[in-house]
Amino acid sequence: MVQQQALDRAFAALADETRRGILTRLGDGPATITELATPTGMTLTGIRKHVDVLETAGLVTTEKVGRVRQVQLGTERLDDAMAWISFYQRLWERRLDGLEVYFTLHPETTHGTKHDTEGTES
Amino acid sequence: MSDTETGETIGLRLTRQLPASPEAVFDAYTDAEKQKIWFSILDEEPGIVEIEVDLRVGGKQTAVWGPNRDTLFREEQTFVEIDRPHRLVTESTGSDPSGDEMSTHVEITFEPHDGGTLVTVVQTGFPTPNVRDFFETMVWVGALDRIEAYLTRV
Repeated sequence: MVQQQALDRAFAALADETRRGILTRLGDGPATITELATPTGMTLTGIRKHVDVLETAGLVTTEKVGRVRQVQLGTERLDDAMAWISFYQRLWERRLDGLEVYFTLHPETTHGTKHDTEGTES
Repeated sequence: MSDTETGETIGLRLTRQLPASPEAVFDAYTDAEKQKIWFSILDEEPGIVEIEVDLRVGGKQTAVWGPNRDTLFREEQTFVEIDRPHRLVTESTGSDPSGDEMSTHVEITFEPHDGGTLVTVVQTGFPTPNVRDFFETMVWVGALDRIEAYLTRV
C-alpha cells in the first residue's frame, strides 16, 4: 500500500541523529537552511541533503521566502497513520455511543425480536 | 503460538455494555433505517449521513457522513461472516475527505451480559509492527524528543 511505503520512508528518515536534530529544532518554529546548519557545524550542502530526505519522507516542507528557503515541520505522513487510528476510534465510539443513547431513548426496542422472527425477519 | 511476530499488526479493541438484548443490538446495528437514527443521534448540528446495508455474506454496509458535501468520510464494510445475534465479521475500507483509504478487518461480538449485551469490536490490519510499537510507545503531538528516545532504543 502506498501509505505504508510512505511510513517506511518516514521511519528511515527518522533513523538519523542529524535529521532528528533538525526536526527537534523545527519543533520551535520554521528555520532557514543556514539557521539549521549553524549549531551543527555542518555545511549548507550537507544540511540541505538531510532536509531533502526529510522532505521526501513528508516530515518537513520547504518554501522559498524571498531569497532563502525556509524549512518547517510537515508531519502529515505520521499524522496520517495516527489519523487512521483515531478515525476508526472515533467511528466506533460514535457508533457505540449512538447505540447506547438509542436504546436509552427507545426502551421498547431493547428486547429484540427473538420470539417472533422465525422466518419473518425484515 | 509464536507465529504472530511477523504477521501481527496494530489493532483497535473497544467494548461497550448496552442496555438491550443481543438480538436487539444486532438488529439495530445492522438495520439501515435504525442506523440512520443512532449514527447521528449525538450530532449537535445536522450533517450528512447516508447508510446502506446489504446484510448477506459478500454484501456491503456503506456509511457516508460529514459536516458537509466537501468534507465527507466514508466506510464500506463487506460482510465476511454473519452469525446473528452473536458475531459479525467484515472487511472495512475507510476513506477520508482527501480520498486516502485504509483497509482493515473487523470482528464484532454481541454477548449476553448483565441483562444486556456486551459489544466487543476488534479491528486489525493497521500497517506494520513498527508503527504499532511506535504508537504504543508514544503519542505523536510534536513529541520529537520521545521519538528520539524511541529510535535510540531500537
